[in-house]
Amino acid sequence: MDVLNPAFWTFVGVIAGIYAILSLGLYVQFSLAGLPNFGHVAFMAVAAYTMAIGVTRYALPMATAATLGVIAAIALGLVLGVPALRLRADYLAIATVAGGEIVRYLALNLPDVTGGPLGSIGLLGPGQIATYNEPWQRLLDRLSTALQVPLGTAPTRDLAMALLVWTLAGALLALFRGLERSPWGRVLRGIREDEVAVTAVGKNVVAFKLQALVLGAILGALAGLLLAWQIGVFSPDDYQPTLTFYAYLILILGGMNRLWAIPVGAVAFSLLYSGTRFLNFFPLSLIDSGSRAFLRLFLVGFLLVLFMAVRPQGLLGNRRELLLEK
Amino acid sequence: MTALLEVEGLSKRFGGVAAVSGAAFSVAEGAITALIGPNGAGKTTVFNLVSGFLPPDRGEIRFAGRRIDGCRGHTIARAGLVRAFQAPRVLTRMSVLENLLLAAKDQPGERLGMRWLAPRRVARREREIRARAREVLDLVRLHPLAGAYAGSLSGGQRKLLELARALMVEPRMILLDEPMAGVAPVLAGELLDHIQALRTERGVTVFVIEHDMEVVMSISDRVIVMDEGRVIAEGPPAAVQADERVIEAYLGRLAAPRPSAPAGPRP
Amino acid sequence: MIRQLLQLAVTGALLALTGVGASLVFGIQRVANFAHGEYLTFAAYVGLMLNVALRQSLLVSTVGAMLLTGLLALGIHFALLRPLRGRGLVAMSLITVGLGLMLRDVVFLVAGPQIRQYAIDQRAVFDLRLVRLSPGQAVALLVTGLVAPGVALFLARTRLGKSMRAVADNRDLAAISGVDVDRIGAYVWLLAGALAGLGGVMFAAVQGTFDPNLGFQVLFLIFTTVVLGGIGSPYGALAAGTVLGLAMELSTWQGLGGGLEARYKPVLAFTVLILLLLCRPQGLFGKARVL
Repeated sequence: MDVLNPAFWTFVGVIAGIYAILSLGLYVQFSLAGLPNFGHVAFMAVAAYTMAIGVTRYALPMATAATLGVIAAIALGLVLGVPALRLRADYLAIATVAGGEIVRYLALNLPDVTGGPLGSIGLLGPGQIATYNEPWQRLLDRLSTALQVPLGTAPTRDLAMALLVWTLAGALLALFRGLERSPWGRVLRGIREDEVAVTAVGKNVVAFKLQALVLGAILGALAGLLLAWQIGVFSPDDYQPTLTFYAYLILILGGMNRLWAIPVGAVAFSLLYSGTRFLNFFPLSLIDSGSRAFLRLFLVGFLLVLFMAVRPQGLLGNRRELLLEK
Repeated sequence: MTALLEVEGLSKRFGGVAAVSGAAFSVAEGAITALIGPNGAGKTTVFNLVSGFLPPDRGEIRFAGRRIDGCRGHTIARAGLVRAFQAPRVLTRMSVLENLLLAAKDQPGERLGMRWLAPRRVARREREIRARAREVLDLVRLHPLAGAYAGSLSGGQRKLLELARALMVEPRMILLDEPMAGVAPVLAGELLDHIQALRTERGVTVFVIEHDMEVVMSISDRVIVMDEGRVIAEGPPAAVQADERVIEAYLGRLAAPRPSAPAGPRP
Repeated sequence: MIRQLLQLAVTGALLALTGVGASLVFGIQRVANFAHGEYLTFAAYVGLMLNVALRQSLLVSTVGAMLLTGLLALGIHFALLRPLRGRGLVAMSLITVGLGLMLRDVVFLVAGPQIRQYAIDQRAVFDLRLVRLSPGQAVALLVTGLVAPGVALFLARTRLGKSMRAVADNRDLAAISGVDVDRIGAYVWLLAGALAGLGGVMFAAVQGTFDPNLGFQVLFLIFTTVVLGGIGSPYGALAAGTVLGLAMELSTWQGLGGGLEARYKPVLAFTVLILLLLCRPQGLFGKARVL
């Protein structure tokens, strides 16, 4: 596809919106509550798998299957969260990556339950190709038709998806901005600063952290479902730990403490990520398109290091706040 | 004079060391009680145990007649027993005002979702809290710094902020851990006035660990002396000062009157 | 049975040696280095280049890889980790994650994702009457058999070794006692890099085939070894690596009630790691620190 093809950029827009929701989930856990969850991708995986299994194997309606997916992610968050909340920051990071990897390994090695390395295609056993996406596609078509009235022409499925995703993202961002500025958000920010002090003034720190974790799980689940619907198929390889770090990079790019910077970070990240396929000048033209994936990952790593080292407040953040790091 | 805090048979071991063994005392309501003793006597450990930051191995702790041993820190704070820390724990990247707003009790907005379920109640309580916070800020004369990051405050100002924050929780009793330590003389007098005002103007019971004997003698109504994890004397300041066991405990340790390191582990 | 014991010995020894280096640096840095596994990847590919492209023997390739990886670790320490020290636990963790991504993908870019193997005849077998060894296992046993006691002696007897242990165990105390923490830190990185280099080439040789994901696959095993042995305790890491290797190989043993399938070995390692972090973060041999 060349750079001017609108279909390509619509697709990028959808992914950017989904990543904005994913990063918002991380924001609640990390920027608000101070929990460095390095295994955030596991919420996506659990929700997507639960939904797909519900639709393909148990013929559940999509809405039910999706809700079960969110509930499964919440359950995972509680199971991991309750013990893990007492851990020191970098131990929590290690434990959550390990937890996320356990989920991925189980998905990879339990073919009877999860379709194994084949992923969602293999959910109905060998010899059958399982798909879950039909109900969602029909929903999108209905949406496209409905949008024909205000827009003049019926948008493509991707465009309808993009509009849907960004409307949802916008609503969620506004919702969480409200939460952030509420007294609830204030307690969380206090916990991020010094949880002993906050305990000493009578707040149940563990309960607040669990709430942040569960909210993060719900958002991660939503992102996972949307991505599964957009792509139509998934496998354990799609839930590598790298995805969590894309979300961290998005938070860092925008500025870790600014909620409204998340869509900026998400768009910037998606442009960077998809844009590498268009960088056809020397020396990058030496790298064939297959290897561009590695270049992109290298870039992600490089930006993580660069921003954390040189500009931790991101593109839009406030340096002063960071100078008061304890 | 009723006892607000009663402790019996309180014990705590760390590894092989008994930090507190069989401590027993009571703190009278409405008075200023000082907890003194040489280094390592177990004073800060007692504070940690009483305020719920450390679980006791044995013993009974009663606050306003109810058992609180085994309760956790935040529950005890809500019950009215609030502690301040020796090294002030301010929330550095939040404003001074926010530090106080956060400490207020009974803000339904702190429950998830209440902001939308009961917005008017939340807003009303927020106005009340703001008014009270400004009042407390005025009291400790930190009003001009209300909007500043708490992290930019000096050491003495942070102590005042901690005191103000404790007041926001509407406590019946405040635990102060060496409030005079490291405070410039200029601020020390002010701090002393505030502590005394706590008792006289607000009826708040004060339980304070202090090493500065002048301070102890001048402001406390009662003194409790600990040594090696046990309570060895209890009574009015003059009587305790003359008590032989107390003199021996201090002299025997060759402790300086104002040591810098706190006794016992921190929470 | 003997075959399994042997495999167990090899895995355990490799984990132990790699773990020693990792434990020392984690003890000094006090932050988990998510890039540590990629040092092994780097080493495996340097070894590949020496072994296959430059036709050196496996032994020479190993030594070369150890040297170059040691220098890489040292370089990264000076260029990146030391200047950024004190940024905060999570910031450092994210930086090491980024670093790991960079290292791994440079290898992907330069060497390609295809599966590789060393120029050793995989079908050749050393027949030792009781047991038959693959060439990879033979070299691994030989090398670790020489290096492990060497490292242990170095740490126990030499002044540099003792200083390293002191700094890894309690940096502040060591500094007060007059140890030049910065200088020792540099040596520790050199040693850790060299040991990671050894581990990388040996893991690749023992596994037979490998790709640039090697390091990431081993990363958590290294974390588990380090935590199990107590961060900063090299002897602990030696013991823990052996125990972990034992646990992982034994878990698949039929005799133990059917045993775990081989593909679940990583899950076992992850679970042990999580349980350790939750219940006993000081590991088997570390001191209970106030975190």
